[in-house]
Amino acid sequence: MKKFCLALAGLVAMSGHGMAASAINLDSEPRTLIVTEGGDKSEIAIGAGETVQFCPSGCFVTMPNGDREALNGSETIEISGGAGKIK
Amino acid sequence: MPIHSMRRLAIILIGICALFWAAAAASAQNVGSHGTGLISEQQTELERLSTIIDDLSRKVAASAEDDAILVVLRTELEAVSQSLLKSGLAFRPRLAEINTRLEQLGPAPAEGQPPEPDIVAGERQNLVSEKAEINVLLGLAENLSVRVKRLIDNIAEMRRDLFSRLLTKRYTIDYALVGEVLSAFSEEMGDFYRTVSSWLRFVFQFKLKSVTAATFFALVAAAILVIGGRRLLGGLFAADPSQTQPSYLGRLSVALWSTLLPSAALAVFLAATYLFFDYYSVLRGDIGAMLRSLFYVIAVVYFVHRLGRAVLAPALPEWRLIPVGRSAGRFLVLLVSATAFFTGIDHFLTSVFEVLGSPLSLTVGESLVSTFLTGALIILIGLVKPFVDANGAARPWHPAFRFLLFGLGGATVVAGLLGYIGLARFMSQQIVITGAILATMYIGFQSAGAIAAEGTFGHTALGRRYGRWFKVDETTLDQLGLFASVAINIVIIMVGLPLILLQWGFQPGDITSWLYRFATEITIGSFSFSLTGILTGVFVFVVLYFLTRWFQGWLDGSVMARGRVDAGVRNSIRTAIGYAGIVLAGLLGISAAGIDLSNLALVAGALSLGIGFGLQNVVSNFVSGLILLAERPFKVGDWIVAGTVSGTVKKISVRATEIETFQRQTVILPNSELINAAVGNWTHRNRLGRVEIPIGVAYGSDPRRVHAILLDIARGHPSVLKNPEPFVHFSGFGDSSLNFEVRIFLADILGSLAVQNDIRFAIVEAFERERIVIPFPQREVLLRRETEPPAGDMSAPPVPAASPTETAAPPAGPAVRRRRKRPDPV
Repeated sequence: MKKFCLALAGLVAMSGHGMAASAINLDSEPRTLIVTEGGDKSEIAIGAGETVQFCPSGCFVTMPNGDREALNGSETIEISGGAGKIK
Repeated sequence: MPIHSMRRLAIILIGICALFWAAAAASAQNVGSHGTGLISEQQTELERLSTIIDDLSRKVAASAEDDAILVVLRTELEAVSQSLLKSGLAFRPRLAEINTRLEQLGPAPAEGQPPEPDIVAGERQNLVSEKAEINVLLGLAENLSVRVKRLIDNIAEMRRDLFSRLLTKRYTIDYALVGEVLSAFSEEMGDFYRTVSSWLRFVFQFKLKSVTAATFFALVAAAILVIGGRRLLGGLFAADPSQTQPSYLGRLSVALWSTLLPSAALAVFLAATYLFFDYYSVLRGDIGAMLRSLFYVIAVVYFVHRLGRAVLAPALPEWRLIPVGRSAGRFLVLLVSATAFFTGIDHFLTSVFEVLGSPLSLTVGESLVSTFLTGALIILIGLVKPFVDANGAARPWHPAFRFLLFGLGGATVVAGLLGYIGLARFMSQQIVITGAILATMYIGFQSAGAIAAEGTFGHTALGRRYGRWFKVDETTLDQLGLFASVAINIVIIMVGLPLILLQWGFQPGDITSWLYRFATEITIGSFSFSLTGILTGVFVFVVLYFLTRWFQGWLDGSVMARGRVDAGVRNSIRTAIGYAGIVLAGLLGISAAGIDLSNLALVAGALSLGIGFGLQNVVSNFVSGLILLAERPFKVGDWIVAGTVSGTVKKISVRATEIETFQRQTVILPNSELINAAVGNWTHRNRLGRVEIPIGVAYGSDPRRVHAILLDIARGHPSVLKNPEPFVHFSGFGDSSLNFEVRIFLADILGSLAVQNDIRFAIVEAFERERIVIPFPQREVLLRRETEPPAGDMSAPPVPAASPTETAAPPAGPAVRRRRKRPDPV
């Protein structure tokens, strides 16, 4: 039972990564995403080479170059040259 | 004729080709207009959603006073929010296309660079403007979603306000109210009478057949439930007055089922009646509302009454769950039923007054009276001394329970008298309904606990019947009891908790949206997981695991056994399939749970360092186990010798091997030891083995005769192999014997002890017959006399003073030569 619980906890911990959208900044300067999630607008600053997790359940995001996208919360965005590319 | 048909076929073919071509051309044209079509489509969709949101926000403002409508509106708003996101997501493929194309076209030429062709500039211009349009629409969707979220927050706040206003609103209560209430009451009763009588006249004149049919169908539905329930639950249902000492579980289940089943039947009857009335349009608007309220009150009062009777069982002292006195039990049932009755009357009258549009003072006055009565009754219940102690004197409730009742009853009465009618009504209703639900749940939990007790389930009627049908033993029944208890607990929580939440002012929409959110997504901090996903994963794993087990059994039992595959190979294949199946099931389960396997790779990479150090031994054993399975130096059933352990192999697992010694001790040997050290296997390719039996005969025996006898004995034993043939080895001249060794080969080394016994018996018997002596160690004592002439030469050998005599010689001095006693190697 203990083992089972541990295994379940492990699964849960790992599943966490898979469920939120993540953005990785491939540029050499910090970039800012504007994320509208659950009615709140927030700016997420991503340092050069950093990866952030956000938006677990659907959101609208504005890329650094002004492009807008809707996310359902499982995507990975690569930012290069200020443009976001959804994988 | 054939030419004619050929021609027709050709025409048809050409026609089909032409159709395809036309379709292809049309779709090619569509590619160009794809973007604009998508934009206009989503634009209309967003406009539609926008009007819906406008409409909903108007409704929210209009129904600020109605909690139920607000919940419905919130659910609709959540759906709209999802649609907005979906609408936004619809642009993604087109956006990706545009971005890729723009990248291919490259940036616009800067000043001074040669201009690009018009067609490229035109395309870029088109793409950029389309992207701008999409961005505008996405911005619109984003703003709308913000608006929806604000509205949802707004609704939550309004509902909180509504509830707190209900509880804290104060009405003035004075003498003027009494007069107002009395006059309004008589007036409203007249109204009520007129409404009901006109409806009854309408029913009797026009709808009598419909009403009769509706009632009949409703009765049938209830009867099916009651009769079916009785048949299904049998003895669980009714208390047996002849049984003098019913078990605790028996009493609990009778209490539970004799409450639930009739109440459910009544509820079904009332609900069916209402629905059929509605279906035959017997109900008019006002009567429908009143009848609904009346039915609800009847069901609740009946339920509370049944519950009180079931727990206190005034007629059957042995079946009481709480050991109260007979008269006290009867009184308590009366009080409890009366409490429920007055609360119900309050509920019913309030809805009647609402329907009739009566003045507020009437509702206030009526509620004041009924809440006062309810509170007083609850205090009265607290005052009853239900228990009887050893001396026959009455004993009150447990102080905590008594003061809880006083507190609740007093608070209801005081709140009503101070004018907080909303609060008083809320309290009295909660006391009755929540109390009844909690009591039922408590009985349910208690019965679940009683069923789980050891050996109980097997003695229940259901357990006995089940045991008879499926022929299961006591232990299995016990485990089933445990399972049943867990299942009952879950059912009670699944049913009881929503019921209580509904009572406490939550709406069904709240509960379902919580459940939905709980099942699909739980967010903790920055990560979220889905309960259904994990359950799916576990389910997939279990199914695949059992499939593997089945496949393993089928392959082993049907295919390999028929194919006469060697037992060791069979075992290896079975084990390998088992592990492979589990790994496969695990991986598929993990992916079914929605977990990205690339994350697993990450974790495995991080863990490999830890594995290198911490799990070195385990991994080494694991790998050794795989080698054992592949190489098969021994199989299950082999007699092996590994270090100091010697015994039969019982089981080869991936980490360790189980060996049973001949003393029946089980030794778990880590696989790495079996791989790293030498392992002797007596039965590796075959069970053939050699046994040596040493024997000594006295000096003076005829060695050739002895050799012949021994060889005869060895050859004469049926279990001794003829080839390689037995051999007698004249192994040496011992201290007191001529040593021989009988070497025989056996087909099955595992039966060597019996053969050795036979041969030793035969040797002893043959030697006795032939008068050949088997010597035992002999001691020779030499005595030297000191009285011999001293002047003699010392080098002369001592004279043997005595012939070898064993026992007569006393222990002598230092000159006595002693030979260590050594048994014959037998």
